[in-house]
Amino acid sequence: MPQKKIGVFVCHCGINIASVVQIEELVKRLQESSGVYYATDYKYMCSEPGQASIRDAIKEKELDGIVVACCSPSLHELTFRRTSSSVDLNPYLCEIANIREHCSWVHSDSTLATEKAQEIIETIVEKVRLDEALDPIKVPVNKRAMVIGGGISGIQSALDIADSGYPVILVEREAAIGGHMAELSDTFLTLEKSSELLSAKQREVSVHSNIQLLTYSEVEDLDGYVGNFKATIKKKAKMVDWDKCDGCGKCIAVCPVKVPFDQEHPLGKENAIYLPLLEAGPKRVVIDKGICQHFSGECSECQTACPKSAIHFDEQDETLEEEIGAVVVATGYSMYPKDRIGEYGVDGCEDVIDGLQFERMLAAWERGEGPLRRPSDGKTPRDVVFVQCSGSRDPEHAMPYCSRICCMYTVKEAMVYRKAVPDGQAYVFYIDIRTGGKGCEEFTQGGIADNRLIYMRGKVSKLYREGDKVVVWGVDTLMGKKVEIAADLVVLATATVPSPGAKELAQRLKVSADDYGFFQEVHPKLRPVESPTAGIFLSGAARAPMDIPESIMHASGAASKVLALFSQDDISHEPIVAFVDEDYCSGCGVCVETCPYGARELQGRKRVAKVIEVLCQGCGACIAACPNGACQQRNFQAEQCLYMLDAAL
Amino acid sequence: MKVSYYPGCTLKDKTTNLDDSTKAAAEALDIDMVELPEWTCCGATHPLTEEKIINLVPQIRILSNVRTEGNDSVTTTCAFCYNTLKRANKAVIDDPIKRQRMNAFLKDDKRIPEYDKETVYDFKEYNGETKVVHFLEILRDTIGFETLSNRVTKKLEGLKVAPYYGCQLLRPPEEVDLDDPENPSILEDFLRSLGCEVVNFPFKSECCGSYLSLSAPDAATRASHTILRSALKNGAEAVTLSCPLCYYNMDKRQDNILKLYADFSTVPVFFFTQLLALALGVDESVMGWNKHHIDPTPLLKEKGFLS
Repeated sequence: MPQKKIGVFVCHCGINIASVVQIEELVKRLQESSGVYYATDYKYMCSEPGQASIRDAIKEKELDGIVVACCSPSLHELTFRRTSSSVDLNPYLCEIANIREHCSWVHSDSTLATEKAQEIIETIVEKVRLDEALDPIKVPVNKRAMVIGGGISGIQSALDIADSGYPVILVEREAAIGGHMAELSDTFLTLEKSSELLSAKQREVSVHSNIQLLTYSEVEDLDGYVGNFKATIKKKAKMVDWDKCDGCGKCIAVCPVKVPFDQEHPLGKENAIYLPLLEAGPKRVVIDKGICQHFSGECSECQTACPKSAIHFDEQDETLEEEIGAVVVATGYSMYPKDRIGEYGVDGCEDVIDGLQFERMLAAWERGEGPLRRPSDGKTPRDVVFVQCSGSRDPEHAMPYCSRICCMYTVKEAMVYRKAVPDGQAYVFYIDIRTGGKGCEEFTQGGIADNRLIYMRGKVSKLYREGDKVVVWGVDTLMGKKVEIAADLVVLATATVPSPGAKELAQRLKVSADDYGFFQEVHPKLRPVESPTAGIFLSGAARAPMDIPESIMHASGAASKVLALFSQDDISHEPIVAFVDEDYCSGCGVCVETCPYGARELQGRKRVAKVIEVLCQGCGACIAACPNGACQQRNFQAEQCLYMLDAAL
Repeated sequence: MKVSYYPGCTLKDKTTNLDDSTKAAAEALDIDMVELPEWTCCGATHPLTEEKIINLVPQIRILSNVRTEGNDSVTTTCAFCYNTLKRANKAVIDDPIKRQRMNAFLKDDKRIPEYDKETVYDFKEYNGETKVVHFLEILRDTIGFETLSNRVTKKLEGLKVAPYYGCQLLRPPEEVDLDDPENPSILEDFLRSLGCEVVNFPFKSECCGSYLSLSAPDAATRASHTILRSALKNGAEAVTLSCPLCYYNMDKRQDNILKLYADFSTVPVFFFTQLLALALGVDESVMGWNKHHIDPTPLLKEKGFLS
């Protein structure tokens, strides 16, 4: 191989490098160095004149590769690679020798630092000598998205993507979309009915020609990589022929399975066969196989009762395989189970409920289903105590975080309660009132004043039952007094926690979850809607507790990331990846086990290992693991590294 | 089973009934329980100061002596002793620096006097090997409440007892770890195995007033009244507990309660070991009924457990 003509460009970085390293002496030595064809220096290489000098030298001296000796590659590698590609030198033949962070900034002895800088540069020169000219790997993008979760965030993400003209699969595990928003009464700030706001969106989804809605379905597995995912989706058997069912409800009336009020379940689900609440669209029933007594016993009451013979117990789950280019995770939240908070667990007392249950009670009152009634005996609650931060901001319950939505929904619930029971009294225990959103503080203060809500700053230490009352032991720290209230109903603002099954889903999608089980973003400030896995985006409360407006913003953010991906026909991937010398590969498969990205596989017939280049992140784990040295990494080949070591030592 | 027994100071003075009934019950249950030949104060409360070295030494010395006696666990019925011993032991297990400093003290105990050149002492480091078990734990984990219920000769059927835990048996849960601090069940299960009827009430782990008995007696009276009133309201005929200080605040303090709350009616208070000994048919002389301020014998006679 003819010797490459390699140019070295030494940057002074003002005085950052030049004050320690003797630049003149360094350049002189480099010019005499065997592998270096040309060497020069400049005050600021990254400045436009500095870059121009590189461009000119590449053209005039017909350089085959360059080394820029300057700051860390994380700062300006891209800058100089662009410089070289602008004059038709392959960018992967431009390398950075870091003589600032690794040399001038950490040393003071000028002579020794100059020697070290020379060694660093000569090492990189050795690398460039054997570097290959590489091209980014191009991968086509499948412009079809999958949104997991049909709550308000999922709906919004799906609509945004679909409105831009791309097909979307919306997967929802319940039988109807809408999520928790379908359970809420009035929403805060405007006090508009949640179900009315939602139904417009639900209708849009159900008629949108770009949205394929898969309700009662769950994502079982996700394979592939950005732009080219393959999802396995399980369509759970509804056991009901929806073409025949007309939602008459005769089956529900005879079902012997009763779902208790305080169990986490979608609204309207009171029996094993139930009518999913869907404001838009026709009414159709479904059966929950998990609790139906047909499968645990003999019961077939609903089948007998159905006038249309629409119930088929032998219906099986169906598995679908879908190819998609991007995934939006919008699995939402749930509430921390109140019985895990020992001090508030009054032996399963029905009159201690969580905020979401109270929302359902208020929503039922708003729908005109009679006066507000407490769960135990149906009495109208005259004294209602709200306990904020039940589990949130409490390291003892392993939830030191703020659940964010509770301050707002508590004041809103107390306001709606006062409308429902005008002679009732609402008490709220709080640690801090955290209502930072637009218009939120005004809403809260107005609500407290106009509705004579009694706010007490302090925690509740104990709840216990006495007669038909729930006695609340709390403290008002502003008054410095212990407070005891005999309440008819206690509403706990239990902590917002990830949706059940979120952790398992994260594993199936191969994305990470944080300590609490919320999906992890790449960067909390700068990249909040992207998961660390390219092509998987996060929407709404799946990432962290958030209210409806924030969820919608977040959902649109995730959708816009999907659209940015879909705006390209293919995407580029860094070509510094592993490759296999098939002559040496024995097909042992060690690399397949080692690879953390699923980028290695054995080719069936040939029994040699293969690299799926678009998945490879260039970490080098398989290269270290390969017993034969058959695995190598582009531009980090063994030979190259040995020469580099020689130069360094 | 073989276990060392650490009674603690109160059991040798104000509450000999707890000491005697414990020993008698253990004998009836064939537990090989031997009182430590030498023991000191347990420290009474776990140190609350930042410097927790010198005030852990007595506990560790006791635990180290258990090993010298050839036993690997020590039991106690006093909730305070249990709390201090168990927490001191955990401190030594968790913190290598504390461990080192404790051992320096233990080693100092064995220092050979200048004039004694003959005796050879062997010092063995103590690294938290001794297990601290409450007597209730032996009943629950070693004997088992089911077996216990079979060994009971006199079922205390029809006796409505409210179990009272207080603080030291349960808290702090991460160090004491005997039962759920909010909704404990060990005393309930124990009472059921004796045939008693368990009275559930919301104040079973509320504070009895503790040492406020000395500094602010009225506050202690209010605290014990809240607890006893609730137990009575829920149908209790008696209260059972394991802590001598709770016992004082619940039993002796009923005098003060009567002065402040005219509608209050007294209720006898038992150590759990007294009920155990009674149910096991142990000789009555160990019960020390005369030590009780509220005489429990009329109730027991009424129920037919005493002649």
